[in-house]
Amino acid sequence: MGTRINRLVFVVGMIACARLAPLPAHAADQEAINRPAGAQDWQALAKLPDWNGVWTPVISDQVAQEKSNPPPWTPQVAKQIKHMYAEEDAGRPFPVIDHCFPTGMPSWMLITHNAFEILFTPGRVTILGEGDGNRLRRIYTDGRAHPADPDPSFHGHSIGHWEQDTLVVDTVALLPQAYLAVNEAVGVPNNGDMHIVERLHLQGPDTLLDDLEITANKVLSKPWRTTRKYYRQRAQKYDIVEGVCTQGSFTEAVDKNGNAIFAPIKFHNGVPVGSDSK
Amino acid sequence: MKLTSLKRISMGIILAAMAGAGAPAGAHHSFAMYEPTKTLTLKGTVKSFQWTNPHVVVWLLVQPADGGAAQEWSLETTSPGVLTRAGWTRQSLKAGDRVSVTFSPLRDGSRGGGLNSVTLLDTGQTLVPKFGKEEPGLK
Repeated sequence: MGTRINRLVFVVGMIACARLAPLPAHAADQEAINRPAGAQDWQALAKLPDWNGVWTPVISDQVAQEKSNPPPWTPQVAKQIKHMYAEEDAGRPFPVIDHCFPTGMPSWMLITHNAFEILFTPGRVTILGEGDGNRLRRIYTDGRAHPADPDPSFHGHSIGHWEQDTLVVDTVALLPQAYLAVNEAVGVPNNGDMHIVERLHLQGPDTLLDDLEITANKVLSKPWRTTRKYYRQRAQKYDIVEGVCTQGSFTEAVDKNGNAIFAPIKFHNGVPVGSDSK
Repeated sequence: MKLTSLKRISMGIILAAMAGAGAPAGAHHSFAMYEPTKTLTLKGTVKSFQWTNPHVVVWLLVQPADGGAAQEWSLETTSPGVLTRAGWTRQSLKAGDRVSVTFSPLRDGSRGGGLNSVTLLDTGQTLVPKFGKEEPGLK
């Protein structure tokens, strides 16, 4: 009997020890929470610079920089890029964004023609764009680190902090398939391990600069530093609109039951050639 | 095998399946397939005004000079957001409008082009899909 009791005590003790043992590191990570925002958190936002309004890329500057400050491509990639420019000149543009995937990072900041807006909330900066269905960047400014093994995505995992009126953003975990593009017809997938550091800050009252340093060792021979400009408009008639890229592949139609539907448009070599699917 | 690797493989399978299920329609593309050094003019009737991302399309019915059935042309331009900032609305054109358009034609001679301007023949109003002045402002 005594032996049985001893065994029982031993088992109960083991269970108790297991419950009290420190949790593995990854389990502790999972317990991090988005804590409630208090009045102080909201008041802190008032000290941030005014980035309200709609920001549109200065396309003329994109074009000028494409020539004046090209990426330091590796020799192998440089051959691909040269071929793409030749194809573009011949009217056969390479389909960098043809598939309607998100343009992704860093190409969104580099080549888009579409506007975006920037939202500040406690612990977060969010950039919302138009032009493709999921053009948004979540930048965590709550002091967290990158996850140990984040899921790769088109926009990556971004953490940020403020240095006076400059938002410094560090982005990793980008899909290898995400393009590093210099225009809509010239660019290559980053092929993995890309790291982007950005410094976003105002230049004058209504111009926003994004100073980017892009490290992409699979396609670049050294980190590439470049800057993109965006100008602000405040009129509400210019507010950001929904931009679902795949919608452009369909036309509005009515089915046999009278329901409003989307019917596919005919395309040839990437351009629409028939307003109905017949 | 790490979970991330599994996810990457899954993504690859999904993408391969999508590619097999039907090539992407190609809605978003560069405009390099249009010949920028050439400008053509056509008069016709708007069949429909497709106000969609990533590109707005004016579908135009053009009566051939030698008779025969009207031919459909697609005239592509930039996105609703960019056009809105250039003064357009989704009501700028409607089916049945008689218009004159100028455009950079497809290099392969197909009936399509990149829109440069559209003039409503009944009112004389001309719309241009410009990218705006690249200037900040309140208006």
